[in-house]
Amino acid sequence: MSKPFRRARGGRYAATLHPAEADLLRSLVAQLVDLLDAGSGGAETDPLAAAVGIDASAERPQDPVLLRLFPDAYAEDAGAAEDFRRFTERSLREGKLGSAHAVLASLDAGVAPRPDRLELALDAPAARAWLRTLTDLRLALGTRLGVEQDDEARWAGLAPDDPQAYVHDVYEWLGWLQETLVRALSKR
Amino acid sequence: MEAVTTAPVELDEPDVRSSVSLETPWVTIVWNDPVNLMSYVSFVFQEYFGYAKSKAEKLMLDVHHKGKATVSSGSREEMERDVQAMHGYGLWATLQKSGS
Repeated sequence: MSKPFRRARGGRYAATLHPAEADLLRSLVAQLVDLLDAGSGGAETDPLAAAVGIDASAERPQDPVLLRLFPDAYAEDAGAAEDFRRFTERSLREGKLGSAHAVLASLDAGVAPRPDRLELALDAPAARAWLRTLTDLRLALGTRLGVEQDDEARWAGLAPDDPQAYVHDVYEWLGWLQETLVRALSKR
Repeated sequence: MEAVTTAPVELDEPDVRSSVSLETPWVTIVWNDPVNLMSYVSFVFQEYFGYAKSKAEKLMLDVHHKGKATVSSGSREEMERDVQAMHGYGLWATLQKSGS
């Protein structure tokens, strides 16, 4: 059983995961990294523009998950939205990838005093990276599942062996983990 | 938030609409989504905009109950920066001219 995030000594944020939970997180974060890498398109990349974070072109993603991670910045102006994408999507993607890798690094840095527990101690920047990556994972799973406002009954009504039920449990668990981290970070 | 803007050397065509107005004609809007935790949205408003907890909570509740909230206003460039930051946090945000 995992123990929630809490404030620890030295301005750190501690949590305890079961190794199976840590493996699940690693696997989900690795999938997120693959998705972000795949979404980079890279058909025509001007190296100079890339060096300053601008894409020669940045297509609106077809994948609903990528579209949720990189939404249109202008709701009613497709041209302006495309320009915004061209100037920001690369650095946004790199930011999300940076957070994802920071999460993987803190999982690797976890200490296992017993075979059934992995203790994490995040510094403040790592805690921020966790918040962002937990959000991205929940956005990805929530979009794939088709989560809607106040739809608890739908998920509660699924048969226990329905694969969607398991994915939704994971989604909920990520939310619980994030909630405890937000609370730990909000205490002053 | 006070931010120093250094004017870039004409990266894009000049936007007449935003350069002649003395008002602050652009706004950043955060939209409700069924995924993000209410506590997280409030945390983001406090951390990024530096809003007091009471203001952040009110904006978060507006997002949740009314479907959206205007979270900042300023120049188009400033709002693009805010929207980019919100997307970095995983919030669904757009910018538009104020009142449109």
